[in-house]
Amino acid sequence: MDDTSYVGMHYRSEDFNEERPNRYTIIRAQFDKWFSRKVRDAGVVLLCETTVKELLRDTHGKVIGVKTDRDGGTALADVVILGEGVNGLVGQRSGLRSELKPDSVALAVKEMHFLPREVIESRFNLKGNEGVVIEAMGTITAGMTGTGFLYTNQESISVGIGCIVSDFAENGTTPYGLLEAFKNHPSIKPLLANSECKEYAAHLIPEGGYKSIPELFGDGWIVVGDAGQFVNAVHREGSNLAMTTGRIAGETVVWLKRRREELSKANLAEYKRRLDETFVMKDLKKYRKIPEFLHSNKHVFGLYPRLVSAAAQTWFRVDGADKLTKEKEILRSFRKGRSLPGLIGDAFKLARSWR
Amino acid sequence: MHIVVCMKQVPDSAQIRVHPVTNTIMRQGVPTISNPYDLFALEEAMRWRDRFGGEVTVLTMGPPMAEDSLRKALTFGADRAVLLTDRFFAGSDTLATSFALAGALAKIEQEFGKPLMIFTGKQTIDGDTAQVGPGIAKRLGLNQLTYVARIVDLAPEEGHITVERRAEGGVQVLSTRLPVLITMLEGVNEIRRGSLDDAFRAARAKIVTWNAADAGITDLTKCGLRGSPTIVKKVFAPPPRAEKAYQVATTDLSMEALAETVMDEIFKRQTSLEGDLMRFSAG
Amino acid sequence: MTGMVETGVLGAKVEEKLFQNRYLVDAGRPHIKVRPHDTPSKALRSLTYTCPAGCYSLNDKGQVEITVDGCFECGTCRVLTAKTGEIEWEYPRGGYGVLFKFG
Ligand SMILES: Cc1cc2nc3c(=O)[nH]c(=O)nc-3n(C[C@H](O)[C@H](O)[C@H](O)COP(=O)(O)OP(=O)(O)OC[C@H]3O[C@@H](n4cnc5c(N)ncnc54)[C@H](O)[C@@H]3O)c2cc1C
Ligand code: SF4
Repeated sequence: MDDTSYVGMHYRSEDFNEERPNRYTIIRAQFDKWFSRKVRDAGVVLLCETTVKELLRDTHGKVIGVKTDRDGGTALADVVILGEGVNGLVGQRSGLRSELKPDSVALAVKEMHFLPREVIESRFNLKGNEGVVIEAMGTITAGMTGTGFLYTNQESISVGIGCIVSDFAENGTTPYGLLEAFKNHPSIKPLLANSECKEYAAHLIPEGGYKSIPELFGDGWIVVGDAGQFVNAVHREGSNLAMTTGRIAGETVVWLKRRREELSKANLAEYKRRLDETFVMKDLKKYRKIPEFLHSNKHVFGLYPRLVSAAAQTWFRVDGADKLTKEKEILRSFRKGRSLPGLIGDAFKLARSWR
Repeated sequence: MHIVVCMKQVPDSAQIRVHPVTNTIMRQGVPTISNPYDLFALEEAMRWRDRFGGEVTVLTMGPPMAEDSLRKALTFGADRAVLLTDRFFAGSDTLATSFALAGALAKIEQEFGKPLMIFTGKQTIDGDTAQVGPGIAKRLGLNQLTYVARIVDLAPEEGHITVERRAEGGVQVLSTRLPVLITMLEGVNEIRRGSLDDAFRAARAKIVTWNAADAGITDLTKCGLRGSPTIVKKVFAPPPRAEKAYQVATTDLSMEALAETVMDEIFKRQTSLEGDLMRFSAG
Repeated sequence: MTGMVETGVLGAKVEEKLFQNRYLVDAGRPHIKVRPHDTPSKALRSLTYTCPAGCYSLNDKGQVEITVDGCFECGTCRVLTAKTGEIEWEYPRGGYGVLFKFG
């Protein structure tokens, strides 16, 4: 995207409408309610509205429970699975991992816009349980590393934008100003017309990838989800990684308990072994160089979108110039914007970090 | 001493918006909460339980999901929760609600012992009628103390209670015999945050769930929509007042200066007021 | 109309956005505090525009102040000032703070 245009790749496929759903949009508050019900039905005791302050350890340093912010607030446990999300304060303050780095965590702001289902269906050309996801890159992030996104739910549209935290600090733009500008971009604005915004939210996303994964287990503890940096920023996946790591952690503990094994660091290493076999570790490993690439190659977010947009304009305008001249002009504009070695280098680096 | 608190799960009315164009109530995503007024009743009940010993039972009539607010009441420290739920109760107005709750209270007395006090909040934030409490009292033949700001004295053994009741133009001090039904005013206490034990107990607790038959309620013509003579004629957003609120600017922030500025502004707009006040204060 | 997509672009008022949200404010117990200081560091000053809820502002002495009522507990301010240690950051007591309706 540049300031006034967008160049898009669309992919629609009837194949997605297969029996087995393949991608969903969910509203977290509703999903969490449903999911916690399932969990309780399975026999879990769920404590809400209780903040964990710190881990409890025995004299050997083994984690034996947690201390909460309620009166009489200690709970003992054979093992503590930390699924405390991106901020991970408990783990941090108990020395399991260090504070997040401003350049490897993104701040995303998001709004929920409500529209009648029929309006969403006709506006986005949808039927049944189909949905649309739009990911946008370009001048909308004002030169910062980040993306804008929009996706449809049944009766609402989630729209948001996220950029690396240190970029926000250097750039001086407010997150809400950036979101407002994105919403008012000529290619987004009509999609939201007449909608009513009912929530504005902000959250961090760990984007350091494979290289920033901290220690994942120790004597009496395991880390799952965002707290373990399990986010695939390229594909904006996190929930599925959180659920998968959580499941593997649970299975590992059950497996050890059935074998009457101690929940020691050595035994809990089984968690990592099992994780390595899943898509979680395989994907993160595959993309391990991407975060670095995007961060040190900011022109990907400003210059290229501008160039691509200009190129498309040149190409699509029916103005009497012949196609060969146009091709040359496009190529020239790219070369002017970035040197040939630069262009080739970017392509090469991107390809390498993708592998 | 056994105390029952009647609580209701209500939509968080602060989150309800009327659509500016269609004038309809927008319900998506409006969360439910425990009726805030009921929490003052619950805290008051628990304080007297802590003082004299005994149990606090919370009672709700509502859909199965009303279990959430009961569990929360247990987290705060209530001892037992009863959910009265049946599709026959759907659409109840205040008359039908008090009928069903009175039925359940009779059953509670059978099962768990006679309550000496039954509390409700002053009113609910979704209906704002303040009729259910008195309705229950009437049906159960209890003395009722409404809009209670403070329980001055309670003597369970002697069966005696004295309260302060806020009334127009002052405070009434009332004494009566137990058992009673009390509707509690807001702001008189602050709901406690349960201990970790309370939280665990609430998470594990089995909520006593009764349908109409379980609660011994047989006359279904008095329940739900059928038992509700109230008819909602129209829901509308009141038109905004033509007059705008205005802001008064001042730089001097002393109390006198603020009062002076505000009074000047009022007198400027209500031209006859100053003269009237002068005459009034002159006698 | 409030809440509708508006045309005034970068002058977006964050207060209006926060008005859509749901909070349970733990009155008198702010969960984030700015440590007393004379001159804020660059990082601390950046919070006046990086905080997505606009919680931070400069007072007339040029010091950074916080009002936590609209806070999302996102952690941005803590991450940015981790090096300088100018703020104290805790989660609110369980049950208080932002209550996401949708998330
Ligand atoms: C704007 C945005 C868009 C996203 N889009 C997608 C997407 O399209 N697809 C996708 O797969 N993922 C997406 N993600 C990522 C996804 O939301 C996260 O990866 C996922 O929620 C991580 O789950 P989690 O359980 O690890 O952490 P969280 O969901 O953050 O849950 C952590 C929980 O722990 C609680 N907690 C934290 N500390 C304490 C404490 N001390 N005591 C008690 N409780 C505590 C928190 O209250 C919270 O409930 C998105 C994230 C953002 C911000
Ligand atoms: S946690 Fe996030 S929302 Fe809260 S004050 Fe810090 S930056 Fe602002």
